[in-house]
Amino acid sequence: MMRSGTRRVVFLSMLVAMGTALHVVEGMLAIPLPVPGVKLGLANIVTVLAIYLYGLRDGMTVALLRVLLGSLIGGVFLAPGFLLGLTGAVSSTLVMAILLKRTRCFSMIGISMAGAVGHNIGQLLAASLLLQTSAVLYYLPILLLAGIPTGMFTGYLLNSLLEHKSEIFRDFA
Amino acid sequence: MTRADKVLLVGILLASLVSGTALYSRFFLDPVGAQPIQAVVTVSGKAFRTIALQSGARSSFVVQGRQGASKVEVDGRRVRMQQAPCENGICLKQGWIEHPGQSVVCVPGEIVIRIEGAAPLDAVTR
Repeated sequence: MMRSGTRRVVFLSMLVAMGTALHVVEGMLAIPLPVPGVKLGLANIVTVLAIYLYGLRDGMTVALLRVLLGSLIGGVFLAPGFLLGLTGAVSSTLVMAILLKRTRCFSMIGISMAGAVGHNIGQLLAASLLLQTSAVLYYLPILLLAGIPTGMFTGYLLNSLLEHKSEIFRDFA
Repeated sequence: MTRADKVLLVGILLASLVSGTALYSRFFLDPVGAQPIQAVVTVSGKAFRTIALQSGARSSFVVQGRQGASKVEVDGRRVRMQQAPCENGICLKQGWIEHPGQSVVCVPGEIVIRIEGAAPLDAVTR
């Protein structure tokens, strides 16, 4: 991939900006489900892009900055939800980076689903530590199930995006 | 979707179902409604009688209050004051009670029927 410093920094900044925007917009979208906490994971798209183009380190940078900026805009910086989102972002980035870089058999759909599940599991573990209770684990089956359609959706978007990567990323990657 | 994607999908689905069954099965096997509920009758502050409320059981008994004999009727999971000597009849108008926390109170007779047990949630706010 492209290694030129300035272009990389510019492209990563754009990814962070897009991720922050998606993060904030996503917080406004209400998912018509009886359980709270399920969301589409649109902001995950830019994390995958950053990993895909530049690797784990830059993917993690984009994910962390996105969560930080998104929480500052949303006014929840350092609130419990922020800590959960942060752990979720870190764990999903790790899972997706491993699958993207170490395996060849998954499409973006599989990677997104694994990322969604990694996000939810990391988040639940953080929540159980934070609340000092294992009762939140009752959420696990629901969140696992929710990770399938949301992961498929973002994975589908990523697949379509990468079909046009030669046009979109011509100047960057 | 590749083959590996589908395997992953089925894997997540299975993990969700298995963990869901493991975690939630006890709620299905032992729903809150099946937990024991009992009616406690007190006269002048002293426990007079405790009746387990179960479906199908019917009975009635007489309670001697300060103003005379009142009659309590039990019908399965619900209970009521059937007859009372006083002229107000407020306890009679209270009708059947069946949920934990509900009570029938006869002030002149100093008789209280109260349902005890695990109370269900009144409401959930988010």
